[in-house]
Amino acid sequence: MDIIEVSHLSFGYSDTEVLRDISFKVKQGTFLAIAGPNGAGKSTLLNLLCAALKPKSGSINIDAAPIDSYSTRSLALKVAVVRQEFVPVFGFSVIETVLMGRMPHYNHRLFESRIDRQIATEAMEATDTARFAARPLVNLSGGERQRVFIARALAQDTDILLLDEPTSFLDLKHQVGIYDLLKAAQLQKGKTIAAVTHDINLAAQYADAALLLGQVQADSSGFWYGCPRDIFSPEQIERVFGVKIFSGTIGEEKFFMPLGKFAKFSGRIDTNINKNT
Amino acid sequence: MKELLTAKRLTVEIASALLVLAIVMFVCSLIGSESISLKAVFARPGEPSEVNPDYEIFVRVRLPRVILACLVGAALGCAGVVFQAILRNPLADPYILGISSGAALGAIIAVLSGFSWTLWGRSPIAVFAFAGALGTVWLVWFIGRSAAKSNVTSLLLAGVVINAFFSAIIMFLTSVAKSQQVYSTIFWLMGNMTEEDFNVLWFSTLWVVFGIVALFYISPQLNVISFGSDDARSMGVNMLRTQTAAFAVAAAITSIAVSLSGLVGFVGLIVPHGVRLVFGPDHRRLIPLSGIVGAVFLVAADTLARTIVAPAQLPVGVVTAIVGGPFFLVLLFKYTKRIVL
Repeated sequence: MDIIEVSHLSFGYSDTEVLRDISFKVKQGTFLAIAGPNGAGKSTLLNLLCAALKPKSGSINIDAAPIDSYSTRSLALKVAVVRQEFVPVFGFSVIETVLMGRMPHYNHRLFESRIDRQIATEAMEATDTARFAARPLVNLSGGERQRVFIARALAQDTDILLLDEPTSFLDLKHQVGIYDLLKAAQLQKGKTIAAVTHDINLAAQYADAALLLGQVQADSSGFWYGCPRDIFSPEQIERVFGVKIFSGTIGEEKFFMPLGKFAKFSGRIDTNINKNT
Repeated sequence: MKELLTAKRLTVEIASALLVLAIVMFVCSLIGSESISLKAVFARPGEPSEVNPDYEIFVRVRLPRVILACLVGAALGCAGVVFQAILRNPLADPYILGISSGAALGAIIAVLSGFSWTLWGRSPIAVFAFAGALGTVWLVWFIGRSAAKSNVTSLLLAGVVINAFFSAIIMFLTSVAKSQQVYSTIFWLMGNMTEEDFNVLWFSTLWVVFGIVALFYISPQLNVISFGSDDARSMGVNMLRTQTAAFAVAAAITSIAVSLSGLVGFVGLIVPHGVRLVFGPDHRRLIPLSGIVGAVFLVAADTLARTIVAPAQLPVGVVTAIVGGPFFLVLLFKYTKRIVL
C-alpha cells in the first residue's frame, strides 16, 4: 500500500521556484533517502510532507487521504518529524522530552498514562538514551541529543517518520548508530522512514528507495526517484552535485568519493574514474 | 532519578504551597505599623471600631490588602510563566513587554480627564488601566506578528519600543498636568497597594483563578511550544489557537492585576525562575506553583513596603524593583550565552 503519494507537486518561495512537478509514491515500510545539493529543496519537501508548508500546486496524500484533510493532531498521529538540532530554552530532561512525543495521544488528558510511560521507556531503550533519562537536554552531546529527538519521534508511535539530516554534526560511529537505529525501527515496527541526507554512501547502504533533487531548470524538474542503485549512479551524482567523484563498490552497492581540485587523488581522476563500477 | 509528574504528586505540591500561602497571609496580616493582637481581634468580633479597634484594623485594613497582594502576585507570576513560554524567552515579563506601561497610560489619561463615574464599583483609573493593558497586548502581538511571522525577537522588540513610546507620552502628560494629580499618579505608577473593597476583591479573584485554571489546562501544549513552533506542530499542537488563547488569558489577568495595583514590576520574572529552579520546567507545575509562589512573594514584599518606613509607606513596586533589577541582570548574563535571539 502506498502510504505517501505525491503527485505533480510544485512549490516556490516568493520569487524562486524550488520544486516543480514532483510525483512519487512510497510503500509502507520503505526507507527513503532524500539527497541533493544545498538549496535543491530537500528540507522544503520534508516540510511539505508534514504540512508545515502548503504546496503551490499538486497534491500530497498520506495514508490515502489528502494531507490538508488532517487536523494538526490527527496528522501528528500519522507523521513524526525529527528536525535539525534545536535546544529548548528551558531545561527539560530527556524523559520529559521523550514523553512529549505522546502529546497527540493525550486527547484532553493533562498527565501521561502508564501506557504512555511504557512506550516512552521502550523508545529510550531502543535509542540507547535510557541511561541518561534524567539529565537535562542541554548537558548532552550533539549525538546524544539527536538520539533523544529520535526517541521522542518513536514514542509518537506514527507510521511515518521524517528526518532532516539526522546525522549531520555526528562522528562516524554515531552516524552509523543512527542509521542502524532507524533501520531497526523500519524492520521491527514496519515504519516508513524518509530521511534527508547529505551522505549518499550511508543512504545507499540503508535505503530501499532514493529521491535525488537537483536544481529546477528550464527543461528539467531536477528530480529522480527509484531504487538507490539506479538513482545514485556516478554520472547522475556528478551532474546533480557538480563535482568530480571517484566511485567504487562495496558488495552490490556503489560508494562515492568527491574529489576537489587539490585532492591528492585529483590529478589521476580522469584515468581512474568509474573504472571500478 | 527525578520522579515523573503525576496528578497525585502535583495535587500534594499545590496543597502544600497553598498551606504555606495561608500561613504567610495570616502572619503578614498581623504585622503592621499598628500592632494588633489576635486575641483582641477574635475576643469581640464584629463590634464597632470604638470597642474593638484591633478587629477593625484586621478585617478592614490588613485583610483586604493582603488578599489584594495575593491576587496581584498570583496573576503576575502566572502571566510571567506564560509569556516566557509562548515567546520562548526566559526574559519575558508583562512589565518588559510594555503591557504595564499601556495600563499606566490608560490610568494617567483617566486621572487627567477627571472622570468621576464608576463601573462595577471600579474607578475610571482601573477601567482605563485594564483597557490600556489589553490594548497594548494586542498592539504588541499585532506588530510582532506582522513584522516577521511568529518571530520571537520582533515580538520582544515591539514590546520594548511600545514601552518607550508610552513612557514618553506618560512623561509628557505628567509634565503638563497639575501637581496634585501628578503625585497620586506617580505613586500609582510605582505599584501601589491600597485597601480595596471586598466586592472588588472577590470579583477579581474569581477572574484570576478562572484564568489560572484555563492556563493550566493548556500547560502540556506550552511544554511542547518550548521546542519551537515547527516541533510543536509536528507533535499535534495547533500553534495559532494555543498561542492566541495563552496570550489572551495571560493579558487579561495581567490587566486585572495592573488595574488593581499599578505597575508592580519583576514579579513575573523572579517568581517563575525561582519555581523553575526548584521544580523544573514542566508547565503543568510551573503555572499553579508560580501563581501561589507569586502570591507569597508579593504578600511578603507588600508587608515589607508598608512597615519598613512606617508610619509612611513605600509603593510595593519599589520593593519588587529593588529585588528584581539585579536579578534580571544576572539572568541576562546567564541566558545571553545560551539563547539565540
